Amino acid sequence: MAYREKTAWLTLGCMLVAYAIYFSLVLSGHVGPRLLDIIWTFGIIASIQAILVIIGHVVLALSSGAEGRAKPDERDRAITRRGRSAAYVVLLTGTIVVGVVMPFSDPAPRIVNTALLAIVLAETVSYVLIIASYRRGWHG
Amino acid sequence: MAKPLPGRVVNQIRLLRFMADEMTQAELGDRIGMTRQTVAAIEAGKYSPTLEAAFRIAQVFGKPLDEVFQWEG
Repeated sequence: MAYREKTAWLTLGCMLVAYAIYFSLVLSGHVGPRLLDIIWTFGIIASIQAILVIIGHVVLALSSGAEGRAKPDERDRAITRRGRSAAYVVLLTGTIVVGVVMPFSDPAPRIVNTALLAIVLAETVSYVLIIASYRRGWHG
Repeated sequence: MAKPLPGRVVNQIRLLRFMADEMTQAELGDRIGMTRQTVAAIEAGKYSPTLEAAFRIAQVFGKPLDEVFQWEG
């Protein structure tokens, strides 16, 4: 498996676990309604996720030798662009929902959490496409 | 717009590596600035390289481009 595919799996896995925990806490009512409660809970989970991803990247880079130190080549860049393009559509849709529709009908905490969900979904789409492109081939 | 004709790019990279003293995918990758996995993907027809990369591959083997890559319709 390519080094960059491994890092995509790592990032996706950590992200899904971290935000599954966060949104489970939100849905079960364990996160208070104040903005500070949301920022505090999300901040802690996001920080732990970021630390785990960084540690994982370092471990993968060290165990991959020269490949881990190599710059992304044209295929890596094309695959990343593909993931980012799809993520942009998801994020744009989420932004319209959060910024244009929800302010007329929903309370602030739900708007904030929906915005966070849109970011997580966009990133998930990006990494799923990146992994699929590495596994199934890319014909740009 | 007219529908493009069906077909795919095929290549002779495996054969050319064999003829170049069994050059490894990693060696070829180093010489053209790509990872071994990308060379493997090109060789397997899972990735179509840019024109620039295709010329670089042909240059490594000292062959014209159409001896390395062909269009199979």
